Amino acid sequence: MTPLPFDPLASGPLLAGAVLATVASLWLLLPNGRDTTSARWLGALLGLAALAAFIATGRRLGGLGEEAVFLIVSLVAVISAAATIVSRSPVYAAIWFALSLAGVAGVLLVLGAQFLGVATIVVYAGAILVMFLFVLMLAQPAGLAPYDRVSNEPFLSALAGAVLLGVLSLSIGRLSAGPASCCDLPTRATATVDTTAAPATAPVATVVDPLAENHVARLGGELFGRHLVAVEAAGVLLLVALIGAIAVVSRGEAAHAAEATTAKGPAAGRIAAR
Amino acid sequence: MNTMQSLPLLQNALTVGAILFSLGLVGILTRRNLIVMFLAAEMMLQGISVSLVAWSRYHGDWGGHVLVIFVLTVAACEAAVALVFVLQAFSRTGRLDAAAWQSLREANVGRTIDHELPAIDTVPLRFPTLTPAGVLPPADENEPLQREHV
Repeated sequence: MTPLPFDPLASGPLLAGAVLATVASLWLLLPNGRDTTSARWLGALLGLAALAAFIATGRRLGGLGEEAVFLIVSLVAVISAAATIVSRSPVYAAIWFALSLAGVAGVLLVLGAQFLGVATIVVYAGAILVMFLFVLMLAQPAGLAPYDRVSNEPFLSALAGAVLLGVLSLSIGRLSAGPASCCDLPTRATATVDTTAAPATAPVATVVDPLAENHVARLGGELFGRHLVAVEAAGVLLLVALIGAIAVVSRGEAAHAAEATTAKGPAAGRIAAR
Repeated sequence: MNTMQSLPLLQNALTVGAILFSLGLVGILTRRNLIVMFLAAEMMLQGISVSLVAWSRYHGDWGGHVLVIFVLTVAACEAAVALVFVLQAFSRTGRLDAAAWQSLREANVGRTIDHELPAIDTVPLRFPTLTPAGVLPPADENEPLQREHV
């Protein structure tokens, strides 16, 4: 494959426009207490413009089919991620986040991570997100709460996020297939030799994923071979989190009981709980 | 021709990861609902996962996959512990508001002041219904009403 030289003169204005459109779009879309529909439409349009600019700065993949699939799943992931953080209602935010997880799982599948794509759906959308929804249904008042209709410093936060995104995109665009002096992995060293022999504009006809063959079995072998100690540590971490969660719950209930029995106000109850 | 590494795929996937990370950052900075803040944090983890898998694909190495599995583990632990804290905070204050705990802020940070918000006209949602068939059951007066909004 060929390393496309990054041209800052060609992509720079496009990238700057994308960053500016992202700032304006997020600033208009984030909850600001006013709930004006026209501003949100304008924000959505600007967000779509920013997305189009980011797509235009993206690199062409090899085949049209792969490109279309990657575009669709990444658009689903990104658009629903944006909808997650700008939704007024936290329940809608959680459901948008589930859709974003589906898009992320699709991106992972395109990248050849079969196990992780399915694990993202099962662990995140199946377990973690349902737990979030449980808490929301327990704790959410009917209607929109006032604190869901405002946000802290929407303009500065949108500026920070968009500038971070611009800097990251710039450095991603400057990546090249050249050999890095810091780490000469064997796969890189062989690839460098091949890269110089490739014609300058040849499309990537067949990109073979070396991890695709017998994927899950080899991933399990890697996990339980080289990273066995880390797996044990992760198991201990899960156990500690489980015990910690139960301990906090029971302690909190004891504090509530103490508050209820002493009936001298919350401060006295908190002292009694200690 | 090199048939192993794909730089365009790496760059596109890294861009998707960067967008997810930045959106999560904006979300966790701005939103005041504790649950939405946690959703934004999970979104940042998703962006990191996409980037790690993209690098793993590029190098033909298992390290990124293994790291993402540990990210999933830590995210599950984090969600369990954090949701317990959120529930405790809710049972103390009755709100899922981060600003309800602003007495814990630094001394030089300004206070979050809530202004009066304009009232929103809540149009009752119209849910799709099936055509009634058979005998209409008697209405139960004591049945709790359905929430109009979530």
